[in-house]
Amino acid sequence: MADRAIKLLIIGESGVGKSSLIRRFVENKFDENHDVTIGMDFKSKVMNVDGIDYKVALWDTAGAERFRSLTPSFYRKALGAILVYDITNRDSLVKLEAWLAELDSYSDNPNIAIIVVGNKIDKDRVVDREEGRKFARKHRALFIETSAKCDQFVSDVFKEIVEKIVSSEYFGNGGGADSLDIANGNDNTAPSTCSC
Amino acid sequence: MEELLNDVVPQEDLERFEKKYHHEQELDGEVSTETKFEYAFCLVRSRYTNDIRKGIMILEELARLHPDGRRDYIYYLAFGNARIKNYTEGLKYCRAFLEIESNDQVRSLEEYIKKQSDKEIAKGMAVAGGAALVLGGILAIAMAKNNRNRDK
Ligand SMILES: Nc1nc2c(ncn2[C@@H]2O[C@H](COP(=O)(O)OP(=O)(O)OP(=O)(O)O)[C@@H](O)[C@H]2O)c(=O)[nH]1
Ligand SMILES: [Mg+2]
Repeated sequence: MADRAIKLLIIGESGVGKSSLIRRFVENKFDENHDVTIGMDFKSKVMNVDGIDYKVALWDTAGAERFRSLTPSFYRKALGAILVYDITNRDSLVKLEAWLAELDSYSDNPNIAIIVVGNKIDKDRVVDREEGRKFARKHRALFIETSAKCDQFVSDVFKEIVEKIVSSEYFGNGGGADSLDIANGNDNTAPSTCSC
Repeated sequence: MEELLNDVVPQEDLERFEKKYHHEQELDGEVSTETKFEYAFCLVRSRYTNDIRKGIMILEELARLHPDGRRDYIYYLAFGNARIKNYTEGLKYCRAFLEIESNDQVRSLEEYIKKQSDKEIAKGMAVAGGAALVLGGILAIAMAKNNRNRDK
């Protein structure tokens, strides 16, 4: 089972909601407070794709500038990267260019799967959906918009990137994975736990 | 939490920041706060206890002299102490942190340390029992020697 491990990395500016997305996905919880991540945090979850269990390791990095020189070693062996920006903050999307450059220079996997995530869609947007999509397309990344607060499309982020990784050559099957069930079974039809 | 604590710093990272640290020390006679933290951040994630202890010493100094970055230093003090099974110290730092600021990451570390330290205590009882026996044995030998000396 240990060989069915997938390491995912979550990067982006401080405050965009990286830890919130993970917390929503793994624990189905949300916190209004910004618990600024210190260095690096870790959570894991088992996901089932086509009847096979994968242990997905989620490495949550601190967006704060002072950790920038320290976190690259965590990029190693990552099979996928989740790049998060905040749709109410254009600068957080602009900064993703720099995060991608960072990923390019420190990742040891040239075929790393990338998904761009525009978070906080429950708020008034500043960045058009099309802008985010264009950015993702330019970098051949998947794209999705989410709300960690209202549990909108959060599980899809992880589902899409894991499906992409699993269907790639790394796991030795070129074919696409057509079905994926999240082990703990909170899908989009589950009632939202928040008031929005 | 276990994965995070078991993750060992790549040797080249440790060497790179060690070099930077010594370089500044030689060139300027003192090391910048950032460089100290970078080096300590690597040391507390080393495979070797001595490295971790050294990292803890640097972080203690940083926490004393630079209150502005204290939350980072205190978290890694708890982290380093947890890695060398200094659970009492580790818990002390977690609690100090949580008194100032609520934080999920620190709470998980605290929970983990508590669990480990409870396990150690259970094991420790057995070890302490064994130690008392050994110690008793040493005393008995010493006393026997003494008696013999006195006999002469
Ligand atoms: N309205 C709204 N707020 C959100 C959403 N996601 C996160 N937040 C809030 O945004 C703030 C930052 O969230 P975090 O998940 O801690 O941000 P982060 O990217 O992990 O930040 P760093 O750890 O500093 O890098 C918190 O106050 C969250 O409550 C969302 O979908 N909608
Ligand atoms: Mg965070």
